[in-house]
Amino acid sequence: MKIAVFLPELLRHLFKKPATVDYPFKKLEVPKDFRGTPYLNPQMCIVCRACERDCPAEAIEISSVNEADKRFKMIIHNDRCIHCAQCIDSCPTTPKAMLMDSLFEIADDDRHKMKKDWIYVRAVLKPKAAAPASAPQAAEPKA
Amino acid sequence: MSFQIPIGPQHPALKEPISLRMTVEGEVITGVDIRLGYNHRGLEKLAEDRNWIQNIYLTERICGICSHSHATCYVQGVERLMELAPPRRGLYIRYLIAELERIHSHLLWLGVAGHEAGFDSFFMYTWRDREVVMDLLEMISGNRVHYAINTIGGVRRDLDAGQIAKIQEGIVTLRKRSEYYFYIGANEPSFVARIAGVGYLSKENAVALCAVGPVARASGVARDVRKDDPWAVYDEVDFEVATADSCDVLGRVVVRVKELLESYKICEQLLKSLPAGDIAVKAPRKAKPGEVVSRYEAPRGENIHYIKANGTDKPERLKVRAPTLANYPATVEMLRKGFIADIPLIFAAIDPCICCAERTVTLIAAGSGEESVVRMSDLRRRAIARHQNAPVKRNAVWPL
Amino acid sequence: MAALRTLLYLVVYPGLIFLFVYSTFCEWFDRKVYARLQNRMGPTHTGRFGLLQPIADFVKLLAKEDVVPEAADKRLFKVLPIIGLAVVSTAGLLLPVWNFDLAAPGFTSFSGDIIVVLYLLSLPTLILFLAAWSSANPFSTIGGARVLTMLFGYEVPLFLAVLGPAILADSWRLAEIAAFYQAKPLLLLTNLLGFIVAVIAVQAKLERTPFDIPHAETEIVGGTFTEYSGKKLALFRLTFDIEMVVSSGLLAAVFLGGFPGGAVVGFLHFVVKTLFVIFLLSLLRALTSRIRVDQVVSFAWKFLAPLAVLQLLVTILLKGLLS
Repeated sequence: MKIAVFLPELLRHLFKKPATVDYPFKKLEVPKDFRGTPYLNPQMCIVCRACERDCPAEAIEISSVNEADKRFKMIIHNDRCIHCAQCIDSCPTTPKAMLMDSLFEIADDDRHKMKKDWIYVRAVLKPKAAAPASAPQAAEPKA
Repeated sequence: MSFQIPIGPQHPALKEPISLRMTVEGEVITGVDIRLGYNHRGLEKLAEDRNWIQNIYLTERICGICSHSHATCYVQGVERLMELAPPRRGLYIRYLIAELERIHSHLLWLGVAGHEAGFDSFFMYTWRDREVVMDLLEMISGNRVHYAINTIGGVRRDLDAGQIAKIQEGIVTLRKRSEYYFYIGANEPSFVARIAGVGYLSKENAVALCAVGPVARASGVARDVRKDDPWAVYDEVDFEVATADSCDVLGRVVVRVKELLESYKICEQLLKSLPAGDIAVKAPRKAKPGEVVSRYEAPRGENIHYIKANGTDKPERLKVRAPTLANYPATVEMLRKGFIADIPLIFAAIDPCICCAERTVTLIAAGSGEESVVRMSDLRRRAIARHQNAPVKRNAVWPL
Repeated sequence: MAALRTLLYLVVYPGLIFLFVYSTFCEWFDRKVYARLQNRMGPTHTGRFGLLQPIADFVKLLAKEDVVPEAADKRLFKVLPIIGLAVVSTAGLLLPVWNFDLAAPGFTSFSGDIIVVLYLLSLPTLILFLAAWSSANPFSTIGGARVLTMLFGYEVPLFLAVLGPAILADSWRLAEIAAFYQAKPLLLLTNLLGFIVAVIAVQAKLERTPFDIPHAETEIVGGTFTEYSGKKLALFRLTFDIEMVVSSGLLAAVFLGGFPGGAVVGFLHFVVKTLFVIFLLSLLRALTSRIRVDQVVSFAWKFLAPLAVLQLLVTILLKGLLS
């Protein structure tokens, strides 16, 4: 029976730097392609509603503001979002209209403040075009 | 003099709520009564309202530690229903993540076993090394828990050469540390005194009570779905089923560490022979009517999903049988004749994932204490009838 | 004037305020060493280097709601933490730091005070059992039974080990024992076995891993402390901290040569030697896992007690050789 097998390892750690990071005074870097919060690039969106249909948490809400001007409103409910990035995978445009950033410190004490919405005009893509053809009268995202 | 002590639903030894009522005499346990249901979320009903893609994320959230195993078991079944054949590269990546998840789950379990035994230094060290696996998974999939790498028809993200190199480096570090933990776990006298001879489950009982996973393998029953019923990549990689003969908690520790070492072998083989090509095929939105049973070897044992489709884009029925549910009768047998001091260790040794196992419900009449088991279809009828007749409560609608 | 001096001894140094401040410092030291051994940081942000963390914990507990269960024996339940604190603080007064005069025995240093200190340090165990008994809770009952079972294990080896150096020094007075070893430091090495036994037995008395069965968090919730909350729990935790300081002071006085040199130098000796003993206790805490209560008793009687008896034999032989 060996006594104190753990001892050399323990004593070695007295002189090593701690493995824990002093968050929030020092932060760790997140890797590339980290799934943070989704946001819209309104100029590419063709309002196919694939993201709304496939979101598991019903976090995307698309409603019509003005049919004649083709203005649509999209609200992303960040309090309901589960950060799965399925909306980005379902988005059919190239380059994608739904994008993911690396923000993860989005906590708030009121869930209604965590929404982001956009009012924009629906983009009309010419076949095999890389840029939208209609007037990009996209308003700034209202946070 | 016998009296009952309640372990749970709230107890520091349990990570999740479950009620174990122990009848004890002195320090010896004479009887156990397990009551489930504190973590029931109605997942099987929720799955019927969501389409095939949304259900991937729902099944993933049945559990946090074995999230990929539930998602993969479901996706395997749906791919069979839709008659899809995912490309080789997609399958390799999917099962590479599965093995990485097994590694992370077993390291987590080693730490928890140390903590339940009071061996906090071991707990801190194994969890520090688990961070290596978590960082690898974050690099590959974008999230440390709930990797969501599956999609119907393959996987969503690809691996590049830099990531492959990092994974191989990580595995080398982890292998060295795991061998050290094997040495400590088997040799530290106070730890071994706690876990040797505790929670005895003989081989006959393990087979009779349908134990699955490392619990059965530690009693000498070499049952592993990856070997019994190999699918996808498992008949192309070379590994062994880890068993032990001591039938106690020490055996379960040994089996899990041996499985860690086997997982490192599997990961290295998968990375070396990763085929080139696509990572997914396009999946239809609707599935043809049919039913499928999908099995998978989760870190805790055999996971079974039954899916029934009726031609629409939503499943008609999803039934989940998680491995921990199969291990509960074996737990009752192990706890009998044990000491109170051993309860947390015996219970932790089955690697309980209680939220996975919340599927059966027994109704107890509050007035008379009488128990009855009710069929799901009857429960559904009763619930719909009650909702149709009840008035809407004033503040029942959440102002979303 | 003498009355004022006594009052200062009792309240400020080495009485309540000094024991409070020093025991919180020792708890910080223990937590920091334990954390560094496990590759973590320990308390970092409350005060510089986290020094104020134990005091912050104490103040937080004082501010919490204090619940007395319906079925508990109320008077006993309420009075026990205060008795515990009083007992260990009294034991602290008897340490030979500088409140003694070697030639003239007084209240703080008299012949037989080593026995009084050991007795006063055994009382907290009985108080813990009464606390468990008076809170009518199945977890507390099991915790109380375990406390007494452990007492059968470690008490005898501790007494035997601590009395060994006293036999060699031919006195039952802590100050005289310390002075004897200060005059002949080499004789300290003959007590090494007793020191090891005493450190392990003190770890059991303080109910730290590997002997923290009575309040094993993962098994019986809080053990004896399950029903205590708020001010009473704060006083119990302070009792344990002060017990740690007093026990390590006792071990330092008997095995490490006491605290010579008057007021300032003696105080420095006290700090260094007690921190050394506490470092050993923290190392032991990080090294092992918890063992079962029946294993404690069998370990104590199979290993600790024979080693302590062996140490006594060696001491007696040496005494015969020296005289």
